[in-house]
Formats: sequence, structure tokens, C-alpha cells
Amino acid sequence: MNGSLLCAVQGPIMMITLGVLLAMDQMGNLSFGRTWPVLLIVFGLFKLAERGALHQGDRQG
Amino acid sequence: MRRTSVVAPLLLIVIGALFLARNLYPEIPLLDYLAKYWPFLLIVWGTLRLAEVLFWSASDKPLPRAGVSGGEWVLVIFLCIFGASLHAVRGFNTWWPRNITVGGLDMFGESYDFPIEGQKQVSKTPRIVIEPFRGNARITGADTDTVKITGHRSIRSLDQHGAEVANQSMPFEVTGDANSVTIQDNQDRLSGNRVRVSSEMEIIVPKGASIEAHGRNGDFDITDISGNVEVISDNAGVRLQNIGGDARVDLKRSDVVRAVNVKGLFDLKGRGGDIDLQGIEGPVTVSGAYSGVIQFRNLSKPMRFTGQTTELEIEKLPGQVRMALGDFSAQNLVGPVHLSTRARDIEIADFTNAIEVSVDRGDIELRPGILPLARIDAQTRSGDITLSLPPASKFDLTASTARGDATNDFGAPIRSESQGRGAELRGMVAGGPVVHAHTDHGQVVVRKASAEDKPLTPKSDATDIPAPDKPLKKVEQ
Repeated sequence: MNGSLLCAVQGPIMMITLGVLLAMDQMGNLSFGRTWPVLLIVFGLFKLAERGALHQGDRQG
Repeated sequence: MRRTSVVAPLLLIVIGALFLARNLYPEIPLLDYLAKYWPFLLIVWGTLRLAEVLFWSASDKPLPRAGVSGGEWVLVIFLCIFGASLHAVRGFNTWWPRNITVGGLDMFGESYDFPIEGQKQVSKTPRIVIEPFRGNARITGADTDTVKITGHRSIRSLDQHGAEVANQSMPFEVTGDANSVTIQDNQDRLSGNRVRVSSEMEIIVPKGASIEAHGRNGDFDITDISGNVEVISDNAGVRLQNIGGDARVDLKRSDVVRAVNVKGLFDLKGRGGDIDLQGIEGPVTVSGAYSGVIQFRNLSKPMRFTGQTTELEIEKLPGQVRMALGDFSAQNLVGPVHLSTRARDIEIADFTNAIEVSVDRGDIELRPGILPLARIDAQTRSGDITLSLPPASKFDLTASTARGDATNDFGAPIRSESQGRGAELRGMVAGGPVVHAHTDHGQVVVRKASAEDKPLTPKSDATDIPAPDKPLKKVEQ
């Protein structure tokens, strides 16, 4: 997976995650107040993956 | 060329469609659906964007630097704010988390319970006033000469000490004399918004009492009181049972209002969801905006309902009326009946005296059932009209449609004429009251009622309102 694709899918996936968390809050018992750290985790994972992709690019270039 | 997303135009189309739907079908509580399901907009939006990015990537097109632009994020934030406030305004559970947990610690503290207690010797017929408070109250009449309150208040605070200080700053008070008692929870003496409080009260009063209850947020359950009852609240579910006097209920918001066996008049104002009234012996007036299932059963005096788009007047209701989204069904009414509404399918069976029904959009089915007929007037702009009249009916019919067919079961006395794209039935059957039906667009059917006609039954009892003995719901902290 190359870096630019990673950058591009990041926004949509964050948005879907946010939507899912809010929907879960609305529908069920898992309140957004409890689940919001998931957003941090997803964001962190992306940043980590980005770093990885960048390093790979450095080595290749 | 700069690649632009398909999502923005799609979003515009969806918003346009929503507003159009709202204009065409005002009875559909679109805002309610929106309040409930708005997070799915985010999911759909994100999915579309993702699909787009993947598609571009697969077809080796240049990718945008960010999958979701800054402008879009701003829109998302607006959508969240809009959705959340809509959700709160529409009376669902408040969306914004009341207690955000960080590493197991509750940011807004924990809940501490303190008992509340009070009692007072009173006369047989005291007047009891409950000052505004957050929380639930169950008020029960009994053979006693004391007002007795038990219960507890829950105080949410960062620590035990804070909760204790808060508890002491708002002493629970029962004041007044033998004829007039005031119950004060004094929650408004609480300073600062770091602490939240709600109370649960169980109040036993003499049967002869009259009640004036004020609330901010919480349910009232009032049983076996022979005096007048008045409930005024910002947000409440109200259940009244066996009230000997008049009942007046004034709510800014509510999920359910239920009253069973009220000897005096019943007056309800405000906004809310479900209404269920049974066995009211005095006149009934209901006005305001109600989005749920509305049921009336066994009302002995005239009733008048004024909703956002529906107006209903009935002289007396030995049977029942049920209104749910897009439907109106009623059995066994004593007229004169007057009903006007925007968009509902209407079924009315077994009524006496004159009836007048007018609808903007919806079918009308009337089955008088009882002879002799009285004056009938049914009008719709768009929808079919069916009149099922007893075979021995006497009436003077004019039934017309501006666009559609007319069907007649009564044979010769009634002439059928087609006029342009419409049709008209006109004729006198043995001489009787005027029966008039008109639709701008739809069929008109005049038929003989037969014993095989399926009886009208309420569409479904699945949405029946829960019985009053269910526990009061917990007030969100």
C-alpha cells in the first residue's frame, strides 16, 4: 500500500468510525462517552502506518 | 483537472429529497427519524468517499492528498452539532455523554445516594404542592391523615465530601399547615454545575387531597386521589389513575401521558409522544403537538383534540379512537363528529348522528352501522372514499370524483353519470338525510354493508402503551 492511498483513505475511514460510534450510542447501550478513545486508536494506527510507508519510501528512494 | 467528489452533489440531492418529502407528507415525523438515524449519514458519507478513493486508486487516477477535505470536516462537525441538538430537542435521551470516562475515572464524578424523608399531620382534604424538582414522584392516596414522603436523592459529585456538602445545602422541606402542604426538594439552591441531583419520591397522601405537582425532568405517577390534580413539567411522563376531581396536565415535553378513570374534566396541553385516555367522565380537551400513538377510550362527555394538523371533535365516545402515524381508526362514536386532518387513512365504524370528515390526502372508509342514518359529509383531495351503508338505509346521496370511478351497490334509485375523467352518483334512496362524498382524485364506492364485513379492529396492539404499574424510568443524571 503506498503512502498517498493511505493518506486518502484516512479521512473516510475516520468518518465511518465516527459514524459507527455515534450510531452505537444512539441505538444501543455503548455510549459515545465510553467509546470515543477508539477514534484516537484508529488515528494513531494510521499515523503509524504512514510512518512505516514513508520509511519504506526513503529506503527505496 | 482537479478531481471533484460525487459526494457533495449526492448530499445536496438527499437534502433536497428530504425537504421535498417533508413538504409533501407533513405527517411523517421526518425530523424524528433524522434525530434518531443521523449518524448513519456519516457512515454513508464516509463509505462513499472510501469507495471513491479506492476506485480512483484502482484505475490509477491521481489521488487527492486527503480523502476528506477540510471543508467537509467542518460540514461533519456541523452535522454532529445539528444531529445532537435535534436529538436532545426531540426528547430522546440526551446524546451528549453526561459522564465521560477517562481511564476508569468518571470525569463528572460518581453518584451518591442520600435518603429524603418528611411527614406532616393534615386534614382529610389538604392541598399538596410539590415544588419543581428533577426526578420521579409516585403519589398515592390512602386512608390516612398524614402526608408521608420517603425516597432518596442521587447526587453526582467528584467525591463523597462534595456530595455531602451539596446535600446539606438543599435541605428537604415539608412546610405548611393542615390544609395546605408544600414539598420542597430545594434542588435549585444547589450552586455551581459540578454537581447534579435527582430525587425519587414516594408520597402517601390522604385520599381527599388535591395535588399540584411541578417538575423539571422526571415522571409523575398519581393514583387514587379524589381531589383535583394538576401536573406542570418541562419534561415528564405522566400516569394518572382513579382521580376523583379534575385533571390538568401541562407539559413542554413528554414521552407518554396516560389517564385512567378520571371523574372530572381532563385537560392536556403541550408537546409529546403517546397519549392514552380511558374512562374520563368529564369533558376532554387535548391540544399540542403529539408524535406517537394517540388513543381515547370510553369518554362520557364531549372531547376535543387539536393537534398540529388534526382536529377532532366527538360528542361522546363509548368506543375508541386510535391515531398512529398516517392512520385514524375509530369505532362506536356518538356524534356529531367532526374530523379534519392533512394526511391520514381514515376508518370510522358504528357512529350515530352527523359526521363530517375532511382530509387532504388519504382514503376514507365510513360504516355507519346503526340506523337511521344521519347527515354524512366526507371529502378528500386525494384518496378513495368507501361508504358501507346498512342495506335498509334511507338517504339522499351525492357522491362524486373529479378523476376516477364510481361504484354503486344500491341499484336503480341512484343514477351514475360519468363526467369527463370523473364520475358522479346521485339519487334518493327511500328519502333520508343528505350523504355527501367527494374526492378530487380517487374512487368512490357506495356499498351495502354485510355481516361478513371484517370488523374494524385496531391495527396492532404491539405499540400499546405500557401499564401504569411499570416502574418509573430512571432520570438520566
